[in-house]
Amino acid sequence: MTPFLRTGGYASGARRSLANSEEGLDGKAEPYRTVLRRSREAVENTMNGEMQRTIGSGHATLLRTLLVCGVLLLLLVCILIVAALLGSQRLPLTSSLCALAGGSNCGLSSEQQAILFDLRLPRILLAGAVGMCLASAGAGYQALLRNPLAEPYLLGISNGAAVGTMIALVFFGAHEWSRPVMAFAGALLATLVVYQLARGRAGATPERLILAGVIVTTFLSSAIVFITTLMDATRIRSFTFWLLGDLSGTTTSLLAIAFIAAGVGVGILAMNARSLNLMMLGERDAFDLGVEVGRVRLTVFIAASLLVGASVASSGSVGYVGLVVPHLVRLSFGSDNRVVIAASALAGAAFVIVADTIARTIIAPRELPVGAITALIGAPLFIYLLKRG
Amino acid sequence: MASCVDRHRNTSTSDATREVVDEAGRRVQLPLHVDRIVSLAPNLTEIVFAVGAGDRLVGDTEYCDYPAQAKNVARIGDTMHPSIERIIALKPQVVLVSTASQLEAFTKQLDEQEIAVYVTNPRSLDEVFYSIKTLGDLFGQHDGTESIVADLRSRAAAVEVAMRSVKPVKVFYQVSGEPLYTIGREAYLTDLVRRAGGLSVTADVPGAFPRYSDEAALAARPEAIILPGGGSMGTANSTVAASLKNSPAALNNRVYRINDDHLSRPGPRLVDGLEEMARALHPEAFK
Repeated sequence: MTPFLRTGGYASGARRSLANSEEGLDGKAEPYRTVLRRSREAVENTMNGEMQRTIGSGHATLLRTLLVCGVLLLLLVCILIVAALLGSQRLPLTSSLCALAGGSNCGLSSEQQAILFDLRLPRILLAGAVGMCLASAGAGYQALLRNPLAEPYLLGISNGAAVGTMIALVFFGAHEWSRPVMAFAGALLATLVVYQLARGRAGATPERLILAGVIVTTFLSSAIVFITTLMDATRIRSFTFWLLGDLSGTTTSLLAIAFIAAGVGVGILAMNARSLNLMMLGERDAFDLGVEVGRVRLTVFIAASLLVGASVASSGSVGYVGLVVPHLVRLSFGSDNRVVIAASALAGAAFVIVADTIARTIIAPRELPVGAITALIGAPLFIYLLKRG
Repeated sequence: MASCVDRHRNTSTSDATREVVDEAGRRVQLPLHVDRIVSLAPNLTEIVFAVGAGDRLVGDTEYCDYPAQAKNVARIGDTMHPSIERIIALKPQVVLVSTASQLEAFTKQLDEQEIAVYVTNPRSLDEVFYSIKTLGDLFGQHDGTESIVADLRSRAAAVEVAMRSVKPVKVFYQVSGEPLYTIGREAYLTDLVRRAGGLSVTADVPGAFPRYSDEAALAARPEAIILPGGGSMGTANSTVAASLKNSPAALNNRVYRINDDHLSRPGPRLVDGLEEMARALHPEAFK
């Protein structure tokens, strides 16, 4: 596998996808064909056996995506069932499985029934939705910004959403819908600011982007501190917990919002996956190949902000999901965004469900915020990626 | 004013100090006559006023709202973010702190200014009485404090008598609903619940105010839920956590809202909280 952090990792993935994109460019103006032919020649010169296999028609990619997603979906369902069986309270195994399978007389007491279906499952589902949102958003940012370290939490985008949520709580506390709306606005604003800050004359280098992220993160952290001083002293503790990412206290409406946002956001990103593949070659090359760079960028920013906003509004800032998951996905399935985005969504769901199960059980009956677990896994990986780069 | 400063200088150089050990086990040098006190917590402010040393309180926090005179004292910030400059400017001889944990760096700075820091950390009602008594003694209010503490003790004893024959009720104490926080092994409130004829279902959980599992709370089948709220909490924590909606306590309407200021402040009014909780859990014992 080509080391991901070197630009080669991206470029080779993109070249691979480039060949797949040819049919999509049919009928476009002649100069594109020339560029395309030249690119393809370059690709063919550097192709190795593994690439040979992955290059095929659009049908082959579709099949591959479906296959990868099918496997991940199966894994996700298994993880979901195991997570539902684990918790601070031990539930009888066979009765719980029977109840999960939809049986009505499985021998669970009404309390056990409530624990399983009213407390555990909604929380697991929210973990899944949050994981989907954050991992696919991370994959989107990374492809668009051509930067493997781009991650909603590290770029300050989660903090932007957190500030939005807190403003909603302080000023429009009564309206539950105001939280995701303000979180989305905050995330989008933070995204645009980071992007503008990171853009130098030489384009946004990975280092510049991370620095811009640090600046925005620290600025927004002070905004968060400022807003907490406006709150009741009694609410501050719950907020510190929430800021670290917390999945408890799910309501049906939050769950619905998270899933709708996940569906819409992942859908939009997936529709732009082919353009993202081309943009990994560089924005100018992508433009020459007929990609409406500005439109794609804005679309991806909006979709990713929607994803981050929905997840932060429902569960606070769960960090590093958008870093860990897409990275592992690319290691396993290559860099074609048509696969990466869909696979990241599913693997992200699995990752956060596992992390939250650990958070729920490791010091039971007490709990940890899920963000503490994801950061514990994510931060060392981030350092490893930096070292390798 | 000038004479006052002179007197202060004389006492600090010539006058003897005494060494006391505070509730965190620290050795503290205190002047024999303490006449400038700063309190960093509402319960400590209440104790200072209760023992009759309120006129010597020169600084307190934004949260200090009882008794009414406490609001007229110079504010030094809040418990978590006190302004060290303001404290030093007030020239206190002792700063009262409710727990040592958050204030280590800050204590060092006060030490450098030769301002004593006295920490209280009660873990039971008896230890609250001890805090009141020692602070009264430190401020030279021995006799008055003695009778205040005796009165508080007799009220607590009356509750104990009333609770002697009752069957303890399984109680869940909801510090906050979302996320769910409760009281643990190290909280003085666990002791208070027991004295009020309750049995905290989280009595053995490590820590003072642990973040608690929703499902464990439901599975503990609490017969009653204590919801501290109102007072300076406003409308916060006024409803039972969603996870406990189907607990025996909520289904049988045994959710008791008790003024948080009487429970969250380990000071003289904690006995009010004890009486209110006991009456709520066992109305039959007070007929």
